[in-house]
Amino acid sequence: MSFSTINSNVNKTAGDNNNNNTTENSSTTDLLGMDLLQNGSRLMSTIQPNNSSDMVHMNNKTNDAPPSGANVNSGSTNPGSKAPANEFVRKLFRILENNEYPDIVTWTENGKSFVVLDTGKFTTHILPNHFKHSNFASFVRQLNKYDFHKVKRSPEERQKCKYGEQSWEFQHPEFRVHYGKGLDNIKRKIPAQRKVLLDESQKALLHFNSEGANPNNLSGSLLNESTTELLLSNTVSKDAFGNLRRRVDKLQKELDMSKMESYATKVELQKLNSKYNTVIESLITFKTINENLLNNFNTLCSTLANNGIEVPIFGDNGNQNSAGNANNRMSTAAIHSNNNTNNASPAASTVSLQLPNLPDENSLTPNAQGTTVTLRKGFHVLLVEDDAVSIQLCSKFLRKYGCTVQVVTDGLSAISTLEKFRYDLVLMDIVMPNLDGATATSIVRSFDNETPIIAMTGNIMNQDLITYLQHGMNDILAKPFTRDDLHSILIRYLKDRIPLCEQQLPPRNSSPQTHSNPNTANSNPNTINEQSLAMLPQENSSTTTPVTPGASISSAQHVQQGQQEQQHQLFHAQQHQQQHQNSVANARPDVPIPNLEHEINTVPHSSMGSTPQLPQPTLQENQLS
Amino acid sequence: MSTIPSEIINWTILNEIISMDDDDSDFSKGLIIQFIDQAQTTFAQMQRQLDGEKNLTELDNLGHFLKGSSAALGLQRIAWVCERIQNLGRKLEHFFPNKIELVNTLSDKSITNGINIDEDDEEITIQADDKDNDSIYLILIAKALNQSRLEFKLARIELSKYYNTNL
Repeated sequence: MSFSTINSNVNKTAGDNNNNNTTENSSTTDLLGMDLLQNGSRLMSTIQPNNSSDMVHMNNKTNDAPPSGANVNSGSTNPGSKAPANEFVRKLFRILENNEYPDIVTWTENGKSFVVLDTGKFTTHILPNHFKHSNFASFVRQLNKYDFHKVKRSPEERQKCKYGEQSWEFQHPEFRVHYGKGLDNIKRKIPAQRKVLLDESQKALLHFNSEGANPNNLSGSLLNESTTELLLSNTVSKDAFGNLRRRVDKLQKELDMSKMESYATKVELQKLNSKYNTVIESLITFKTINENLLNNFNTLCSTLANNGIEVPIFGDNGNQNSAGNANNRMSTAAIHSNNNTNNASPAASTVSLQLPNLPDENSLTPNAQGTTVTLRKGFHVLLVEDDAVSIQLCSKFLRKYGCTVQVVTDGLSAISTLEKFRYDLVLMDIVMPNLDGATATSIVRSFDNETPIIAMTGNIMNQDLITYLQHGMNDILAKPFTRDDLHSILIRYLKDRIPLCEQQLPPRNSSPQTHSNPNTANSNPNTINEQSLAMLPQENSSTTTPVTPGASISSAQHVQQGQQEQQHQLFHAQQHQQQHQNSVANARPDVPIPNLEHEINTVPHSSMGSTPQLPQPTLQENQLS
Repeated sequence: MSTIPSEIINWTILNEIISMDDDDSDFSKGLIIQFIDQAQTTFAQMQRQLDGEKNLTELDNLGHFLKGSSAALGLQRIAWVCERIQNLGRKLEHFFPNKIELVNTLSDKSITNGINIDEDDEEITIQADDKDNDSIYLILIAKALNQSRLEFKLARIELSKYYNTNL
């Protein structure tokens, strides 16, 4: 290998330092040094075959028969030993001197430059036979490296040029016809960057070069020594190179391994992702099933209670922090004591058994009657819908089920309304002006994780449904829906809940207080409503100002015009009823009841009754994600 | 594409609404009148889109809007055509049946007696242009809009019969 050859040659040169320092020796070092400097780390690959064979040849010469040195310096007469540095130029010179291709490349008339007449033929005929350049551009670059310059011509000159428009003329001050001596002075330019890096060694070499040309210079040996040192310090041993190469190979292998691993990881991740989605979906299904089971269990409990069988009271441990369930308060004091911290335990699985006879400030009896399947009256529902027909229809249904309805007609209003007021439930259309329902929900979810938001939509493709759920909507009510469809949604989300307006509500965004359950002792809650409704005309004249934030919306501007009057009446009636319930049910002296002016006497006092209740399952989407 | 319902009105749905008239005698009729007004407005908006802006998304939204209210009232044939308009606006469908085919699906064709089926049709003037692939959908929506006007007319006849007034 050429590398080792050079190395040994350098060593040899170093060994000869104390002996007679011949011109041959010094110039060999010079050439090698130049080559080392120029090629640097590319040494292995860039030394031309010609050069290396020359070098070996020269090396042998040095070892076997040190030449006298007298005639060595005349490069033209002995190109073989002198050529390596600019063999390229010499080759070109020979071709031109011999006029081998007069119609492709030739000296110009004055002999100070040469011209390539036909670059195409030059590329196809001369380059493959004489040079290792595969294209003309590469050849020109090499010329430039030796400081040749293209003779520039203006367009007019080019047209008049006798060598043809496509000809390329190059010149170098030392490259002239029949002037072989000048070739010695044609050297490769040293790249600028390396010049900076190896500035010192280069200077030393140049210095040495000039000194070395003079065999009589006595300081030659000293310089030679320092040059050798420089060369040694700037070269890498074969072992070191081998080591580096092995390391590079090893690193390359490791890189490939890592790439493979990362790809495998990606695939794995995708698989896990799809599994995760499946799990989420089954969890949601599980949640629904769980809900149903608990409902059934609840019904069973109340039936048992109704039949006079003592049922232990069940309490929830961590129900409060779950979305949509925060309003599902338990009626017993035991729960009250359990509930006042936002316990993070997974609530659905921790339906803990409470002793039936825990101290109970409301002195509730477990055998109270109750209906769990019937919806309580007075839920306040926000209807977000832009279609007048749907608004009327839906709010009609809702009122039929005893809800009070507030209507807004686009997503933006829905957000601003939900920022200010609380609702037991939100029914949200998807396609609306200003802001669609799904996006609006995701924004609402940034400040309200509790209120159930139901999408009402005609788009019931799976992809859409998943999108809605991902935006934080709790459920989907497919349009067009019947009264029963709406009812089952209401049951699903509001059953076992106490309407917000019956609770003592803290300001928006703080955790609602847990308090006692309003009475449910009346075997037919509808009678309460009917009775209070029956009293409407009288009561209406002296209705109170709104009590709760939710109630204050009764006068909000969005209420559908045609229905407004009626809605007002209905609302006030319910408001009365709610207030009454508050007064009856609330046994806590520390919670004031504002504006309780009208007692509805026809409503039976039945605050002594309570139904054992179960919390709703609390496994919510937002907890999963 | 689903097939168009043969009945103009889904009475299961409308009867449920009519049953609410118990405590508000003109509730359902009021809704119908409101719908009629709404449908005419929406048709006009659609026509403006077809003549002017030619915005498919807007047509999709209008179709969706009218689909919602017509379906809520059980006016299922109008809802069906509106769904076509919605899907054509989304370029999910690439076809709309001819008027005669759709009329033939009516279970009671006698309702078309005495009306000129093509009376309300607006002329479709949009030029099909291969470079602009919206135009094919605009033409189909124009066709669907003509159909929805006819279905609207039939529904009005049917509803007028039921309420015994000229709606």
